Amino acid sequence: MSTLTRIRPEGRGANASVAISMRDVVKSYGRARALDGLDLEVARGEVHGFLGPNGAGKSTTIRILLGILRHNAGTVRLLGEDPWAKAVPLHRRLAYVPGDVELWPGLTGGEAIDLFARLRGGVDRRRRDEFIEAFDLDPRKKGRTYSKGNRQKVALISALASDVELLLLDEPTAGLDPLMEAVFQDCIREAKDAGRTVLLSSHILAQVEALADRVSIIRSGRIVETGTLSELRHLSRTTITVGLEHDVPALSEMAGVHDLVREGSRLHFSADTAQLPQIMRVLGEHDVESLTATPPTLEQLLLRHYGKEE
Amino acid sequence: MNLLAAHTADGDGPVRGGVPRAPRARRHAHERQRRGRLGEGNLTGLGHLLMFMLRRDRLWLPIWVLSLSALTAYFANAIALVMDGGSLQALTVLAKNPVMALITGPGYGLDEVTVPRFIVGMYGVFLMLGAALMSILTVSRHTRAEEETGRAELIRAGVTGRHTQLIAALILTVLMNVLLSCGMAAAFQFSRAEPDPLFSTMLFAISTGTVGCVFAAVTAVTAQLSAFARAASSMAGAVLGLSFVLRGIGDMSDVSEGDLAWLSWLSPLGWSQQTAAFTLDRWWPLLYSVALFVLLVIAALLLQSRRDLGAGIVAERLGRAHASSMLSSPLGLALRLQSTNLAWWSASMLIMGGVFGSFTGAMDKSANAMPPEIIAVMGGRAGIVDGYLGYMALYFAIIVAAYAVIAAGGLRAEETVFHTEPVLATAVSRSGWLASWAAVTLFGTAGLMFMAGLGEGLGAAVSMDDRSLLWPTVLGHLAQTPALWALLGFAYLLYGLAPRLLSLSWVVFATSAVLALFGQLLELDDVVLDLSLFTHIGQYPAQDLSAEAIVWFVVTAAVLVGVGMIAFRRRDLVTA
Repeated sequence: MSTLTRIRPEGRGANASVAISMRDVVKSYGRARALDGLDLEVARGEVHGFLGPNGAGKSTTIRILLGILRHNAGTVRLLGEDPWAKAVPLHRRLAYVPGDVELWPGLTGGEAIDLFARLRGGVDRRRRDEFIEAFDLDPRKKGRTYSKGNRQKVALISALASDVELLLLDEPTAGLDPLMEAVFQDCIREAKDAGRTVLLSSHILAQVEALADRVSIIRSGRIVETGTLSELRHLSRTTITVGLEHDVPALSEMAGVHDLVREGSRLHFSADTAQLPQIMRVLGEHDVESLTATPPTLEQLLLRHYGKEE
Repeated sequence: MNLLAAHTADGDGPVRGGVPRAPRARRHAHERQRRGRLGEGNLTGLGHLLMFMLRRDRLWLPIWVLSLSALTAYFANAIALVMDGGSLQALTVLAKNPVMALITGPGYGLDEVTVPRFIVGMYGVFLMLGAALMSILTVSRHTRAEEETGRAELIRAGVTGRHTQLIAALILTVLMNVLLSCGMAAAFQFSRAEPDPLFSTMLFAISTGTVGCVFAAVTAVTAQLSAFARAASSMAGAVLGLSFVLRGIGDMSDVSEGDLAWLSWLSPLGWSQQTAAFTLDRWWPLLYSVALFVLLVIAALLLQSRRDLGAGIVAERLGRAHASSMLSSPLGLALRLQSTNLAWWSASMLIMGGVFGSFTGAMDKSANAMPPEIIAVMGGRAGIVDGYLGYMALYFAIIVAAYAVIAAGGLRAEETVFHTEPVLATAVSRSGWLASWAAVTLFGTAGLMFMAGLGEGLGAAVSMDDRSLLWPTVLGHLAQTPALWALLGFAYLLYGLAPRLLSLSWVVFATSAVLALFGQLLELDDVVLDLSLFTHIGQYPAQDLSAEAIVWFVVTAAVLVGVGMIAFRRRDLVTA
């Protein structure tokens, strides 16, 4: 987190570059704390990946941003306003796609798309029809006949066809097939090019890696990591395997070297990415026969935080 | 690896170097299908599935059977208690009216009426409708609803046959109807009505159970037609409605010596009524029911063999690709979501009003012979017509109050199935959404009272041949609306403050209804009677309308809805 350039929300001028700012936000249900001092900042115009295990508080966070749930403590600013008090004017400027879309059984998909977009302030018919074609949806079917993936498409099309500044997407592609996933990624890139801000809560790591400028990882109601993907990689460990006949005592004493084991003629260890230059210098004094270094995948980053340790 | 080996040894795997043959299992399936659709494999797992259904219905089954038996006991004991020979004879005048025949049945044995004959003739049809509804809901629940949710796929993927689920559901439902017949027979036989002989009691109970079985088979067919359980139940319900109307017209024609009496013989309800327990005591009309049951079950099995799991025979119709301009505001959405219900209720109120209104003439004629308790409730012998019309305004106010509570509950249902969240995530305010929904229900209740009054007034005007009855009756019904608004206000207050407590509005409804309907009979104190919502406005045209009460109710309703809106703005939404 220290590697972030903090955007100070003080003063109107600075506000203009921040889309979402949450400080020390607490939301409790009775004794259970859904959010426990959450800090989240999303800059305008960025696609922000929002990752975390089930029940970590992703949906709660988004619903607080929507003014559907009220937080107990902390400050929340959405596009410079309080989302609870200014819910209606703010909702004209954003669109939301829930992870579980429920449609009215008697309304067709086309009617639901139009309804949501109109209630938001208007629908661009040309774009709506383009998206319907791109996502291959039959808008004449009744809500009760749609599969989960098709219901998801209805909410997505309605959100994407609205002319808004901010998209709040809560696992928006759960239930979509890989072909539609590709269409979705194109649409999000297009939205980014148009200058929209996107908060993308997701379980699909490839999607986040492909789309997100920055990523926040939430666990048990707190943000445990924020930054660009390369910054996050920097914070974590690189897996290193060295072919070396004899031991290097200096390595086991070095800071930043973990889990050092020998297996035949190979040494395995993981290294803090920040300490790599020093480790390389130490290794350079020995007759290294081979060396492989694997940078951490997003999956490893996540598993590190999803796991129970700490 | 073992699997592979077994397959190859069986000859099912790809045959090396030879011409590929159809796998043996598939060939067998084809042969089986050719030999007959009800082959042995089609019912595999029947016992297990039936036990499983009984377990799932361990509450549902006794509730249906016991409540219909209890209803029988109530009718039998209440009539036997209230009626003596003279008053029974007087009510029979009312019962022999063609409009009454339209609703209740052919009225066998009413010339020499006894309490059991009266119960069979007047109340039998309602018990039969109850049995039919029980069967429709049970079969639809265990067949199409299972397919719609995808659970049937899990069952069929196990070792069960194509028809196992349908046959098990039918066995279950027939069993429910057998139990119902036993329960009804016991409840009737041991009631104060003291029916005699036992044979007739059994015939009546079995006739009722037979209606249930026929509609179980009807639903078995409709469940094959549509891919949705609701549509399957609705189609079976429509068949039930048609049966009711057919025998209604037939019976009406019979009573008024017309020539359409044969229509009753086209209806499963008619067959069961034509057994005429305690009068003619004949079994043979039930043979028609049994034949229809068998034919329908065969049709259902044939249809099921011809379709894929989860698919319907009737395709779902496509709707509009674009929303109409009505659907662009929260009010438009609230209206759209409630319009189907409102339309059905409006039609029902108009028809019910018309039917009750057309009794006015008969009521006027038979007033002299009616039991004094009932005359007193209607406002005394002198003003019997006004009294009856005023009382009906109260009666319809109570019915429409039930609509009001159900409609207000719809707002909470929208929230709990997560329809409200995406609406409020657009530029719709919470108070705007609540106000839109409330506006539709408030105007809806006024509209329903108007329809009831219109029907009642028209019926009364025609049966009394007195056009001046129409508008006072409409006014008397419409004037009850503010009491319903106060009830709605209370419901929306609860929705805003504590939606879990919304069902408390049913308590207010029930208390008000019971006090208004029975308070006078029970000679309760006025202070207690005043607790009811329905005792303040006055039963016009028999009584004066209280302007004071109307104003109070309107103001109260406005305040309650307003507070509800403010409270709703302050609470969390129910979320997943």
